[in-house]
Amino acid sequence: MSAPGTRDQDTQKWVDLLHQVAHHRDREAFRQIYDHFAPRIKAYAMNQGVSQQADELVQEVMTSVWRSADKYADSLASVSTWIFTITRNQRIDLLRKAGRMQAEIKVETEELWQIPSEDNTVSSIQQLSAQRHLSKSISELPEEQMIAVKKVYYEGKTHQEVAAELNIPLGTLKGRLRLSMQKLRVMLEAKEL
Amino acid sequence: MSGYHPDEITLMDYSAGSLSLAQSLAVAVHLFMCGQCRGQLEQLNALGGTLLAQSDPQAVEVQGFDDFMDTLDAKPEPQITTKVQSRLYNPLQNLLPDSFDAIPWRKQTKDIAEYDLTKQLAGQGVRVALQKIRAGAKVPPHSHRGQETTVILSGGFSDELGVYHKGDFVTRDASHRHTPTALQNEDCICLTVLDAPIYFVSGFYRLLNPFMRW
Ligand SMILES: [Zn+2]
Ligand SMILES: [Zn+2]
Repeated sequence: MSAPGTRDQDTQKWVDLLHQVAHHRDREAFRQIYDHFAPRIKAYAMNQGVSQQADELVQEVMTSVWRSADKYADSLASVSTWIFTITRNQRIDLLRKAGRMQAEIKVETEELWQIPSEDNTVSSIQQLSAQRHLSKSISELPEEQMIAVKKVYYEGKTHQEVAAELNIPLGTLKGRLRLSMQKLRVMLEAKEL
Repeated sequence: MSGYHPDEITLMDYSAGSLSLAQSLAVAVHLFMCGQCRGQLEQLNALGGTLLAQSDPQAVEVQGFDDFMDTLDAKPEPQITTKVQSRLYNPLQNLLPDSFDAIPWRKQTKDIAEYDLTKQLAGQGVRVALQKIRAGAKVPPHSHRGQETTVILSGGFSDELGVYHKGDFVTRDASHRHTPTALQNEDCICLTVLDAPIYFVSGFYRLLNPFMRW
């Protein structure tokens, strides 16, 4: 098991920048985060079928990152994971607002999809070092599995839509998703040893 | 710790944000009670984070940073500082009174009572409800037109396929016909999400099928 502090430089860079933002309201540090993540969040929104509100989503997410930077704990999730969960929730919020009819909705998105925080996370050192290896492991997935995972996460499509797009039966798609999860888990566990 | 969990594809869809609101409620309620799935969810969220960080935004144009900061500075700081939650949260907390006894249950049969949550979630094409089955009582044998997801909040039940306890996440679909029976010692209270009405498969109860609409 690798000790804390061996996390790769790129992961650590974002942690340091976000800490600068949290503790010193450092705008230059935030500029780097913004320049990297804002276009990626916008691309995500466009893929997720909320292109109309893509700029709104970027604004909402980056505002949350600026204002909630002190809520981020590097022992729980990488910066990109934290930003992903915020982005996902804001996207769900946008869709919920768009679909909201007369009915009153009594559950907030963040009650259903929690942002990683001190008390709702099980993180162990093991898991954290696993996170560090994830980007490498993903690139080792067979291409067809990688495509399936990306479509589900990145394009927000239902399994039926993804299967139709790839021209494969639904069962085959589910098989690929399952295999990809198994592979990632095996690769991560192997790296712990 | 619970013995029956959402399958990993359901968790993946939940993490990706592509599972329906009602199904997501069921998953979130299970997560509240299951550390094992919370651990798995962390990995799935990390997968989402990695894919986001690795994505190639190509020629996507965003508002310039200085321009963005001007907009942000002009926005009032929100009263309730942040939307970001900070503790393990029971997603049913705001939907229900503090105790199960205080719920305005609607009696369905002498053994079964229900509290409908569909309206509160503004669900379309789904039905979300809490059900209370008296200790030892049976739900009439039925099958499903769609998927039935049950998360046990208190007590437990058994059916033809197994025995389930507090925290368990159980899914049944059109291929299952079952007769859930509450365990003997206490009432069984569960959250149920249906994406199509169930139908009764035997005897007298079949006469009720035309009324099993929403
Ligand atoms: Zn579980
Ligand atoms: Zn059933």
